[in-house]
Amino acid sequence: MKNHVKKLMAFGLATALSVSMFAGCGSSETASNGKVELVMSVWDSDQEPVMKELCEKYSETHENVVIKTQLSPWSEYWTKLEASATGSAAPDIITMNVLHVEEYADAGILMDLTEAEAKSDLHINDNFPAPLVKGYTVNGKLYGIPKDFDTNAIFYNKELFDAAGVEYPKDGMTFEEFRAKCEELKDKLPEGIYPTAINRNSGQTTYNASIYANGGYVLNEDNTKSGWDDPKTIEGVQPWLDLVLDGLSPTLEQMNDTDPDSMFQGGRLAMYLSGNYMIPSYNKTLEGKFGVAQRPSVNGKFTDIINGLAFSVSANTKHPEEAADFALWLGSKEAQEIQGKSGTVISARNDCQELYLETYPDLNLQIFLDNVKDSELLPHCMVTSELGNVSKDFFDQAWRGEISLTEAGKLAAEAQNAVLDKMNAK
Amino acid sequence: MRKAHKRNHLLIHILLIAGIAITVFPFLWMVFTSFKTLPESMQIPPTILPESINWENYKYVLNVLPFGRVYLNTIVVTVITVLIQVLFCTMAAYGFARIDFPFKNAIFIVLLSILMVPGQIFLLPQYLIIQNMGLLNTLPGLFLPNLFSAFGTFLLRQFFMSLPKELEEAALLDGCNRFQIFGRIMLPLVQSGIVALVIFTAKFAWNDFMWPLIVNTDPAKMTLAPALSLLKGQYATNFPVQMAGAVMSVIPMIVLFFIFQKQFIEGVAQSGIKG
Amino acid sequence: MSSKNTLQSTRKKPSRRQKQDWFAGYIFIAPVAIGLFIFYIIPFIQNFWFSFNDVNKFNVATFVGMQNYQDLLKEPDLILALKNTFLYALITVPIGLALSLFVAALLNTKIKGTYFYRTIYFLPSVTMAAAVALVWKLIFHGEFGILNEVLKLFGIQGESWLTNPHTALFCAMIVAIWGSVGYNMVILLAGMQGISKSYYEAAELDGASPARTFFKITLPLLSPTIFFVSITGLIGAFQVFDSLYMMIGPENPAFNAVKTMNVLFYQNAFMYGYKGYAAAISIFMFVIIMVITVIQLIAQKKWVNYD
Repeated sequence: MKNHVKKLMAFGLATALSVSMFAGCGSSETASNGKVELVMSVWDSDQEPVMKELCEKYSETHENVVIKTQLSPWSEYWTKLEASATGSAAPDIITMNVLHVEEYADAGILMDLTEAEAKSDLHINDNFPAPLVKGYTVNGKLYGIPKDFDTNAIFYNKELFDAAGVEYPKDGMTFEEFRAKCEELKDKLPEGIYPTAINRNSGQTTYNASIYANGGYVLNEDNTKSGWDDPKTIEGVQPWLDLVLDGLSPTLEQMNDTDPDSMFQGGRLAMYLSGNYMIPSYNKTLEGKFGVAQRPSVNGKFTDIINGLAFSVSANTKHPEEAADFALWLGSKEAQEIQGKSGTVISARNDCQELYLETYPDLNLQIFLDNVKDSELLPHCMVTSELGNVSKDFFDQAWRGEISLTEAGKLAAEAQNAVLDKMNAK
Repeated sequence: MRKAHKRNHLLIHILLIAGIAITVFPFLWMVFTSFKTLPESMQIPPTILPESINWENYKYVLNVLPFGRVYLNTIVVTVITVLIQVLFCTMAAYGFARIDFPFKNAIFIVLLSILMVPGQIFLLPQYLIIQNMGLLNTLPGLFLPNLFSAFGTFLLRQFFMSLPKELEEAALLDGCNRFQIFGRIMLPLVQSGIVALVIFTAKFAWNDFMWPLIVNTDPAKMTLAPALSLLKGQYATNFPVQMAGAVMSVIPMIVLFFIFQKQFIEGVAQSGIKG
Repeated sequence: MSSKNTLQSTRKKPSRRQKQDWFAGYIFIAPVAIGLFIFYIIPFIQNFWFSFNDVNKFNVATFVGMQNYQDLLKEPDLILALKNTFLYALITVPIGLALSLFVAALLNTKIKGTYFYRTIYFLPSVTMAAAVALVWKLIFHGEFGILNEVLKLFGIQGESWLTNPHTALFCAMIVAIWGSVGYNMVILLAGMQGISKSYYEAAELDGASPARTFFKITLPLLSPTIFFVSITGLIGAFQVFDSLYMMIGPENPAFNAVKTMNVLFYQNAFMYGYKGYAAAISIFMFVIIMVITVIQLIAQKKWVNYD
C-alpha cells in the first residue's frame, strides 16, 4: 500500500516535469512556417462551419495568412473576452454585438477602422443598412464591419393550427387581428398548449417595436433618460402584456421554467415571435412543420427592431494590417455571399441579403428583408444589463398583474434614471 | 446475539435503500430524459420512462463534440492535478500538523483565508499570470493554479493531527529524520484522508468549467465541462441533449470512484491501522 | 486537546535539533505556500487594493478611498443578501452534516454491498454542477416536473417551485444538501476508518449498544474530521453562487429572493463591471467568514479531540 502511494507520487512528479517541458510554445502568433496567424472569436456553433469556410477562402488569395476560429458558448463569451482583453490578448477578430461595442471601443480594446474603411472599396454607407452602420459607430469612429442582421416575425406551428382547425396567420395583420387569432386558438388548443408567449424580456421581438410605432421610447437619444414613464411607451407595451394577463400566453412563472423558445420547439406554442436567427434551431425539431408570417402592425405601422453583429478588430493585434484587411474582406460581396448562402444568418450587405431567401425555400423569408426599411436599432447603452436588472422586479410584478404597467414603468424609470445618472457622471 | 445482528443489518439496509431512492432519483431522471425527444421531455403530464430508447441525443452529442479527444484531455489534466496536488498537500499538511516552526500559525491562517473569498476573484488575476508565463492554450496552463490547494492542505492537516504523538517521538529518538518519518510512518497512516482528497480533486478537475474555458482557446485541448457547455444554445435549452452530455461526462467518474474506493478505503479498513 | 499545544511555538533559544525541524517544516510547506502565494495570495492582495478603487471591466483602476464601502452600507440589497446567506448556511450545513454522519455511520458497519451503496451515495457529488442544476430544474418544473406528479398522488396541487420567491431558496437548499451528503460522507467515512478497531472491540466486550458506541467512541474520535467538514461546509455555504445562478438565474422572478452575498458580488463584478465595488463586497464577506471561522477555531478546543 505504502509503495503504491509512493510510486504514484513519483509518477506524478515525472509527468508534471515532462509536461512543463512542452510549455511555452503554445501561443505563438506567427506559425512556424512564417505565416501570419489570426484568431477570430465566435459564439454560435451553428455558424462556426461557415466562419471556417470564410477563413479558408481568404487564405486562398492571401497565402501568408491563416485564420483560426475560436468558439466559446454564448453565456461565457463575454467573460472570456473580458479576461483576454484585460490581458491585451483579445482575439484578432472579434464577433461583436451592439450591446458591447461602445464599452469595448471606449476602453480602447477595438481598433478604429474608419481610415482603413475609407481607403478600401467597401463603401460602407452605400452597401449596408444604415441602423447597423450607426450601431457600430461610436463617437464618429467606425469599430465594426456589419456581419449580419436579424429582424422578427411570427413563427407558427402548422401542426397545432391544423389540429385546432384555425387558419394560419397571414402577413399584414393588425395587432387586433393577431389578438383575435390568439383568442380563437385559446378555445381550440388542447390543455397546456398556448396561443403565443410574451415574456417580460422579449422586448426585442415583441413590444419594443410597438413602443416606437406608438411614438414612445426606451432610452432617449443621448442615453440620459429612461422612457418607461412616458405614457406612449406604456401604451405600446400594454396590448402585449394583456395577452399574458388574459391567459393567451403562459405566465411569467411558466416562461421561466421553460423558455418560450424551447416551448415553441417542443410544440407547446402555436405562435411565437422570434428572430430569423432561430430558424436553424427550430429546424432541429420542427423542420417543415412551421411557417413564418409578418409581425402584426401597431397604429398602422409595421415597425420592427433590427439587431446585427459585426466583425471588430482588436486594437492590440500583433498584425493590425492583416487583421483589418481580413475584417474589411469579411464585408466584401465575395465573403457576404458565402455567409448568405449558408442560410445561418442574413448577410448584412445590401446586395447579399436576397441570398438568404433561397436557403429555406419553404419559408417566406422575404418578410425579414422587408422589415429592414422600417426598423429601429435595438435600444442599447453601456449599462444595458444593469438597466434590465434594476427594473426587472417592477416588470415582473406587472407581468403577474400585481401592479399596473404604468406604475411599474414609473418605478422602473426612476431606478433606470439613477443608473444612467451614475453612468453619465463618469 | 446473531439474531440481533441480522435484524440490525436488515434495518441498515432498509435505511440505506430509502436514502438511495432520494439520492439516485435525480440521476435516473437524467438518464431517462436523455433518451427522450424534446417534445416528450416537455410533455404534460411527464412520461417517466422514455417512450422508446432513442439514441439520437447521444448521436448528436458525439457528432458535435470530439468526445475521444475531450476525454483524453480531461483525463490527462485530472491525473496530473490529482497526483501533484495530493503530493503537495500531504507534505504541507504534515508540516503544519506535526512540526513546530516560527510563523506557522500565521502562514496557515493566511493560506486558509484564500477559502474565505469568492473563488471568482482569482479568475482574472490567474489568467494574467498564466498569460505572462506564456502558458495560455497549453496543458500546464489548464492545471497549474489547481496544483496548490488550501482546502486539501487543511483536510489532510486534520488527519495528521489526529494521529498519536508517540509515533513520531519514538521515531525521532531512533534517529529518523523528518522526511523518513513522513514517508515511512505518517504517510501510510493518513491514507484514508489521501483517498478522500484524491476523489475530491479528481471530481473538481474533471468538472472544472470556468478556468479551462477562459485559459484555453484551442479546441484540441478542450476539456469536458467547457465542451459540454457548447451544447447549450444562446436562447433555447434542449434538455434531452444536455442530459445525454451529462450522462456521458459522469460515467468515467463513477467507474473511477467505484475502483478507487474498492482498492483504498477497504484496504485501509482491513489493515486496521492505529491499533 | 493535549497539554503541549502544537500550535504554540516556543520562545526559548532554539536548539540545533529545533533548527533542523524548522528547516524541515519550511521544506514541507514550501510547494503549497509558494504556489498559493503566487496564484492566490497576490490576487487576494490586488483584490483588497481594488476595493479602494473604481475599477472597470478591464482592470483600469482609479483610487476612490472608502467610497465602495460607503456605497456598500447603502446597498439596498445588503440586508436581504446577508439574510439569505445566513439562512442558507444555517440550514444546509447542520442538516447536511447530520445526514452525512448518519449515512457514514451506516456504511461503516460490516454489512454487504457497501461498495455499491458508497458509489450510489457519492453519485451526486461527481455529477457536473451544470447538469445537476438542469436536472433539478426539470424535477421542480411547475408543469412537467416529476415532483408535482408525485405530489398529485397525495392530492396536493404543486406549483412552479423555482420561480416562486417563497420556495426558490428552499429548493436550492434541498439540492445543496442532496449534493453534499455524498461528499461529506466520504470524508467522514475516511475518518471513521482511521479509528482503531480496538476501541470497538472493547466496547463490544462491554456489551455497549451500537448507539452508545457511536456517541461515546465514534463521535469524539471523529471530531477533527467533523470539525473540518463543518468549517469547510460553512465557508462553502457562505459562498454559494453556482447552483443559484445556474438553477434559478438572473432572469427568474424569484432571483431576488435567492440573492446571497456572492450573487451580489457576481452581479457587480461580472454583469455590471463594477469590479471595485465587487471587491469591497468580497472583503466584507471575507471579514464575516473570518470572524465565524475564528469563533469555530476557538470553540473547537472545547469539543475537538486531537490525539
